[in-house]
Amino acid sequence: MRINVRQICFIMIAYTAASKLLTYPTILSLTSERDVLFPVLANFLIEGVVIWALSYLCSKTDKTFYELLSGSIGKVGAKIVYGFFAAFFLLATILPIFEQKLYVHNIFYDTVPSLSVFLPFFIFTTYAATKKLQNIGRCADICLPVFLVMMVFVFLMAFSEVEFNNLLPVLKSPLPGIVKGATGTLFNFCEPCWLLMFMGRFKYGKGDAAKITLSYAAGAAIVLAFVSVFVGVYGPIAPSRTFAVARTSLFFSAIETIGRVDLLVLFALEIVMLFGLVLNIQLGVQCISVCTGLEDLRIISLAVNAALLAILVTCDHNYRNVYNVYHDWLWIVFLVFTVLLPTLAWTLKRGKKR
Amino acid sequence: MKKFKISYLTAAFYWILIIFLTGLFFTNDFGLVDIHKTSIITAVGIDNVEEEVEVTAEIAVPQPSQSGDAIKYTQVQGSGLTIADALNEINAKTGFYPKLQFCRLILVGDSCKDKELFRMLGCFYRKNYSELTALVAMCEGKASEMLSMKSPVADSTSEAIRKVLSDEIEKSANASTANLKTIAISEYSKSRSCYMPFVQVNAPGTSEDGLDGDGVGGEKPGQGGQGGQGGGSGSGGSEGGSGGGESGGQSGQSGSQSSGGQPEEVEFSSRKTAIFLNGKFKGILDERQSFALDLVQNDIRLAVLPCNAEGTHYTLGLKNIKSGTKLDIVEGEPELVISVSATTQIQGVRVKVEPSKTINDDVVPQSVINGAKAELEDRFNQLVAICRETDCDVFGLRETLYKRKPAEYENFKSDLLQVMKVRYDIKIQSVN
Repeated sequence: MRINVRQICFIMIAYTAASKLLTYPTILSLTSERDVLFPVLANFLIEGVVIWALSYLCSKTDKTFYELLSGSIGKVGAKIVYGFFAAFFLLATILPIFEQKLYVHNIFYDTVPSLSVFLPFFIFTTYAATKKLQNIGRCADICLPVFLVMMVFVFLMAFSEVEFNNLLPVLKSPLPGIVKGATGTLFNFCEPCWLLMFMGRFKYGKGDAAKITLSYAAGAAIVLAFVSVFVGVYGPIAPSRTFAVARTSLFFSAIETIGRVDLLVLFALEIVMLFGLVLNIQLGVQCISVCTGLEDLRIISLAVNAALLAILVTCDHNYRNVYNVYHDWLWIVFLVFTVLLPTLAWTLKRGKKR
Repeated sequence: MKKFKISYLTAAFYWILIIFLTGLFFTNDFGLVDIHKTSIITAVGIDNVEEEVEVTAEIAVPQPSQSGDAIKYTQVQGSGLTIADALNEINAKTGFYPKLQFCRLILVGDSCKDKELFRMLGCFYRKNYSELTALVAMCEGKASEMLSMKSPVADSTSEAIRKVLSDEIEKSANASTANLKTIAISEYSKSRSCYMPFVQVNAPGTSEDGLDGDGVGGEKPGQGGQGGQGGGSGSGGSEGGSGGGESGGQSGQSGSQSSGGQPEEVEFSSRKTAIFLNGKFKGILDERQSFALDLVQNDIRLAVLPCNAEGTHYTLGLKNIKSGTKLDIVEGEPELVISVSATTQIQGVRVKVEPSKTINDDVVPQSVINGAKAELEDRFNQLVAICRETDCDVFGLRETLYKRKPAEYENFKSDLLQVMKVRYDIKIQSVN
């Protein structure tokens, strides 16, 4: 059940950025107009501080989060907290699954495919969710190089169309819009909870807190750059362009001549996005395992994925309603789980390092 | 025992997977499309007929062939209150799925002049229809008729039109290009203005006289005994329709035809520019105004500028062009500086050529350079005048002011074009 610091850093770069390439820039441009970068900066700054605090906490203790909780509030309390975290991880998965389904249907198909086309996704998630931390780490090892190379292509293909002055003037959009941009997109942020689950499961070495935090900053920089490019390409019509990553490179001149080469990049990025998405399910399954004491992850994975599938089928045509709930209300839950609770981890009894 | 259980589960998993995928396969969820059974929209023409939108789609129909390319292009029409209605009718007639992923050209007929442009084009900005990469142009007359014309330079009409809207032609300042994205960005900016090329047809082998090289083609097709009258859509088409007969329309070839039954061949040009304010058509920039606009808005490699000096007509080639606009507030008043810097050489003079003197074509006399500067200034003056007259901010000055000086924007947003001073900074020098 161990992972190493390099893999955590890779997760912080690749999955952090990959999970924010679809609807995040579009929502920001809708709510914050030209000041899209400020909500991004605000969100990453707050989450980054929490990431640093957590990774620094890892230098003070080698216990897992569960052990810290058990030592402070008892095993029953710890299991209850893990139950809440399991629910949170699954909550954090629902909207991205809807987005992935719409993305796959819209971008990779010229016609309107049926829901069943997306269902093999659950075969993948059911299988992946039975895997433990080592496998998560190995996937990150593979995903990071793919992600970085593909993002370079995305930026290169968009470069000729970008007008960064579309981000001007600075701070002239209404303040409520900027604040709403920051809060309404919090459902894209789970990274501190990932780190909370990795606590005590990697060997902390000198300077690892800085490495993890800097990796997160690198992920944030990629997202900032991507949001800037997206708004640079589309300006005032950016709010009408969903699935941002698939739209930024469309004006690449070679596409006219040799066809949709950008789809190769999008396919590769889709793989990384799927691994980033499945991480929440994996951690949710592991939290349920700790909470219930059930060791067979296959049964939990089957149950969890069946539940997710049921939600997807039930709300198949209600994406906008589901989105509104996340955007308008559930940001409070995300604020509690990704900022407040990880910070409170510092108040738990740490004991002596083994 | 444990080992047996795992292998049993694995086998069961694979069987479930195989059954599931087989189910998907036989319900055609892998959805391979037989290209011979489908048709692809390569261009659409939009006309306004009373309160309805009439959409003419140029469709590429792949033909089975053993000898390489075999694509048949045809036109199909649909109509309705929105473009989506019309496309749905076309879908009913052709069996294609109404996504416009391969549509490369949108031609707006001049019957749409009185309508709000972005109400007409609204469908293309909605999620599933188009990727905003399609070129947009307004055309003289009906778009349906223009799309049904035949060009000697390409198999499909839309391809021939796209040749005069290409990036290459843009680099010579002979035409501007616009796509769905660029016009929407301009329209939804603070300037609320956009422009697009204005496509015209001319009979092949004719040209317009007396315009110092700025002429666009010449005689209209069908004039001068070249063939039949242009017009009359729907001839030769077959009646279509679906449902209760409400969506009936005409499909097939339409437009100008010669007496022999074949469509008359025409040439296209797009040296004029249609301008819009708040989505409403405001006028057409002529060739000289369009040239001036293209010069400051696009990255020009080589522009040809006719001018007069000392009673002689010269044709100059402008190279290494650096141009642009700069809006500043000077002593509380907005000032627009239009700057152009270029090197020039003589490409043609209306005198008998002396071979011994052509070596000096790279050394342009100062009087000719002055003539070129005067000509450029005159073109810019005309462009600024029409901008003021129509309040159409094709330079994007309000947007620039808002970006750079948002406080000043509030002061001048209503009358910027009227009160601004215009200054020219034109530097032209010989190539050598």
